[in-house]
Amino acid sequence: MLKYNKMNMGEDVRGEGEVSMQCLRIGRRLQVLRCACLVITLFLFTFSQLSCAPLFRTASRAPDDGSIYGGEVVVGITQEPTLFDPHTVVAAGDEEIIFNIFEGLVKCTPDGHFEPALAIDYSISEDAMTYTFLIRSGVRFHNGEVMTREDVVYSIRRAAGLDTGTPLRSELSDIQSVTLSGENEVSIVLNEPDAELLPFLNVAIIPRSVSDINDTPIGTGPFKFSSYRVSESVILVRNDDYWQEGIPYLNKVTFKITADMNTAFMQLRSGSIDIFPYLDPEKASQLTDDFQIISGESDMIHVFALNNAVAPFDNPKVREAMNYAVDRESLISLLMSGEGTMIFSGMSPAMGSYYNESLENAYRYDPGKAVELLEQAGFPDGFQATVTVPSNYAHHVNAATIIADQLRKVGVELTIVSVDWATWLEKVYTDRDYQSTVIALTSEFAPRDVLNRYVSDAHNNFIGFNSKEYDRIFSSIRSEPDEDERILAYRRLQEILVSENASVFFQDPRNIVAVRNGLIGYVVYPVYVQDLSVVHYEGAKE
Amino acid sequence: MNYFLKRTIQLICTLITVSIITFCAFYVIPGDPARVILGPDASDEQMDNLREDLGLNRSFPVRYFRWVSGALTGDLGKSLTFRQPVSELLGQKLPVTLSLAAMALLITMLISFPLGILASGRPGKFLDQLLSVLGNIFFSFPPFVLALLMTLLLGLTLKLFVAGEYISFTESVPGFLASLFFPALAVAVPKIAISQKFLRASILAEKNKEYVRAAKSRGLSDTKAMVLHIIPNSLVPIITVFTIIASEILGGSLVVEMVFNIPGISRLLITAINVRDFPLTQGIVLYLAGMTVIVYFLADILHSLVDPRIRLK
Repeated sequence: MLKYNKMNMGEDVRGEGEVSMQCLRIGRRLQVLRCACLVITLFLFTFSQLSCAPLFRTASRAPDDGSIYGGEVVVGITQEPTLFDPHTVVAAGDEEIIFNIFEGLVKCTPDGHFEPALAIDYSISEDAMTYTFLIRSGVRFHNGEVMTREDVVYSIRRAAGLDTGTPLRSELSDIQSVTLSGENEVSIVLNEPDAELLPFLNVAIIPRSVSDINDTPIGTGPFKFSSYRVSESVILVRNDDYWQEGIPYLNKVTFKITADMNTAFMQLRSGSIDIFPYLDPEKASQLTDDFQIISGESDMIHVFALNNAVAPFDNPKVREAMNYAVDRESLISLLMSGEGTMIFSGMSPAMGSYYNESLENAYRYDPGKAVELLEQAGFPDGFQATVTVPSNYAHHVNAATIIADQLRKVGVELTIVSVDWATWLEKVYTDRDYQSTVIALTSEFAPRDVLNRYVSDAHNNFIGFNSKEYDRIFSSIRSEPDEDERILAYRRLQEILVSENASVFFQDPRNIVAVRNGLIGYVVYPVYVQDLSVVHYEGAKE
Repeated sequence: MNYFLKRTIQLICTLITVSIITFCAFYVIPGDPARVILGPDASDEQMDNLREDLGLNRSFPVRYFRWVSGALTGDLGKSLTFRQPVSELLGQKLPVTLSLAAMALLITMLISFPLGILASGRPGKFLDQLLSVLGNIFFSFPPFVLALLMTLLLGLTLKLFVAGEYISFTESVPGFLASLFFPALAVAVPKIAISQKFLRASILAEKNKEYVRAAKSRGLSDTKAMVLHIIPNSLVPIITVFTIIASEILGGSLVVEMVFNIPGISRLLITAINVRDFPLTQGIVLYLAGMTVIVYFLADILHSLVDPRIRLK
């Protein structure tokens, strides 16, 4: 029987002479092949041996002389950094890295205050029109240059867009001029009174001699930028000339970019990552004794956002019904293993005195009341709606699933539409073409920034909240010089969000950080930063 | 020469088609790169500034034609996200994917050849049946399951390697190759399962041919017949199988690169699509298309070397 292979188009039976010729040729070819195989096998064997050696198992090293200085750590991040220019950076994932490279006149502290950093002191004029900073002397940039007042003026002018007309940071758009004044002072004069500009003056001070700050990120921070390789790592090294005595401790910090939370977690367990923030509580519970779990308030608002401009959520009664139909307590225990604080309005308890604690338990879980409210709103049989969630955040998808389940009990059929991040940003956030969504809102650590998004014409008011009273109070706060009055106003704004049932605000999730044993000093900030200047290895002799 | 001309024209046509398809895909799907880069809380001014910076304020077809005219002169443009030339990024990530692919291909050959020969030795007997069952099992493993299983069993439990540890080739070449070994194995296992089966079938088909029977009747031993005639002659279909495998592997192993945290082309492609980075996506897609055409071209040459009766036409 002859079988023809498709590729063998010639004839299959050969003459005798041809066979012997073929033998010779193939014999030689085989010898070459055999040698090659041997080499390759040896080659492979060596690699597999190498990879078995524990040589590669220690990603981090503690200093061996027993001092608490030195050593290196690997911090896991799941977002690809995109920008290193501190004035244009907006992505939280970039901010957590550059916090270690750049500093401003003031700096956020772990308890959420703003302390002078590159300034020694500051004063705000009575009319809240002029901010004056006394500049710290003897501070050096990473390139060795001494930081001067001119650099401060240059940096703030650049961020406020005084020369180009378009501010790089919109919060600074009310700055009229930045000038040298007194002895080693810089004055910032505003167009309109603003008693609350200080948190936004954490804008990084950069050397005016560097033209492309994104390519060569040079600041005054505790660590210097060393290298960045796309989808691999950002490496920072110790700034030996740091102005603050005693810190930083570590010689080298590697921000390792991982594909997602799952691979990051795998690497945490295998030892190639030492510190991992924003860990899933369920995963945190799977970690062994090699880690300490540190957690803190995150100033994040996790919200089941309802589009106030679109039916059926344009009806306040329906929104109120949703607030009674969502069981926050069980939602937090399912989603976060309880690691979250219930909220009812748009501000986190991390904001301290600005937070209105009288609104706690503004809505008590009550499906009966929800059904009643739906009846009054004209939906006696409930309704169907969609919830559009970003698929790359498992957290939000899970939350939406639990909420959909809870709403089913009051007759509301919620269909989950899962879209990718870029689509979510365009459809939901920019075009507001959605009914409901689940998302976590972050902001600068300033009450104004937290509550700004509910002003009816705010660009980021994606829930379409519209209240004249809210707008009026919000716009009056800025020029109010008395802090107590401002606090009262912010508390009132939170009340309005509840009385108008803006959305279902349900939790402030805790930021859970896994830190390898032996490393101490890690502090959780209520903002999205990683402060590595205070992290160090436990000294062998103490 | 005619042959090369034909292949070159084919390559160019493929690249044009692929770039148009990518362009259309980007035109249709929602998502604004400036918004993705700056995040949800960016103000309109910041967005406008960035759009201006990146040249996004022009209409999409205009951007496409700009890109094409650049590409024709060899300039693939700058990545929107990373602000680096696309060619530079490709240059950074290609060695990684290519090394992974080469290693996976090597492992596949080294293991599947002996297995295929072994299985064809006594068809239908225990060893053959065992290999066939194992082949079916490994072939049907989805790559992500295999990659995860390997990480869990070999990495975390047996501690043969550190999960997610990747050493850049700029740091240490042996370390780099070592960190690629297990990922390459994960890529290779399903491929071994297929190519082993093809090899077995191909050898068996050849074995029963008349020239083999003739050679044996003239006193040629079984081993000699196998090594000198059957294997070389069964290589032609095998090369075809390996061509398909090679073009698949060279395109980057998406899942494996993700699970093992290998910063290769696939991960770059995912990032590029997620952030709607048009120039970068185009650059990578062009590489993938070009690579496939080139692999098939090499396969043709190999065919003609192994079987001189096949001429390059």
